[in-house]
Amino acid sequence: MNFVKPILLVVAAVGLAACDPVGPDKSRDRQSVDRDDLTGMKAGIWVDPNGCDHWIIDDGVEGYLSQRLDKYGKPVCSGIAPPTIATGDFKGGSTSVIGDPL
Amino acid sequence: MAYRITKAIGAMALAALAGLSAAAPAVAEDAGKTPFISTQNTRTIKGEQYIPGIWVDPDGCEHWVMDDGVEGYMSPHVTRKGIPVCRRANTCGVMNTDQFFATDSYRISKHGQARIAEFFRSASAVGYVIAGHTDSRASDEYNIKLSYNRALAVARVARSVGANITDVRGYGERMPVATNKTAQGMAKNRRVEILCFR
Repeated sequence: MNFVKPILLVVAAVGLAACDPVGPDKSRDRQSVDRDDLTGMKAGIWVDPNGCDHWIIDDGVEGYLSQRLDKYGKPVCSGIAPPTIATGDFKGGSTSVIGDPL
Repeated sequence: MAYRITKAIGAMALAALAGLSAAAPAVAEDAGKTPFISTQNTRTIKGEQYIPGIWVDPDGCEHWVMDDGVEGYMSPHVTRKGIPVCRRANTCGVMNTDQFFATDSYRISKHGQARIAEFFRSASAVGYVIAGHTDSRASDEYNIKLSYNRALAVARVARSVGANITDVRGYGERMPVATNKTAQGMAKNRRVEILCFR
């Protein structure tokens, strides 16, 4: 019985977050609980198994990963960290409410 | 109620008339004279509009970013030719090859080697890419080889002072930064670029 209330709260929060109509403009963080500006996100670097860099961002509920490319369009494999290692302060988007769920 | 029905029937009749009158001349005209473009093979696309935002990475290059409520998506912004769209370049050094190499040569003088070593000792990047370029004189194949050999010569000096060279490339005359129609333009194109990654 003690667990019912928190569970209901969580279900309600997730429901709110999920059912928020987003519309075609996906350029903003729409979370009801950890909303922030997408352009100000801080990235770290994740090194793939081939040794090449990817930008990694933990923005609370959302996570982002995108290739790091040089000006010629080739992958950057800088050797900043060993393969499969994520480095840098990229969990800036996690909030006290959500923390880092995953 | 009766009024509504008659109105509806009237509207349908009107539509039918309009349809007939519109179709009739088209059929008559199409009979053998005007070229006919078939509209039978048009595709109906089921989709939803996703307008992205732009996130600029620490190198200065743009990425498409989308937040769909709980999911997030991201992909690098590149042109149709595959070149990233960047607000600033991460080129941290451009060597004018005239100062380091004689025409058609990829040998660096003792003095030139000392200057390159000094550059790599003071630059504190994690990794470097060395890319050689030429002007458009001589054949494309020859220029690819020459620019690659010059980039290799620079990389050899850089490695001797402990720099982490992650790639060495020769682009020949294929990536000009200036016109090859003037002497100044060609001099600008004869270069070795050093890309720094922090």
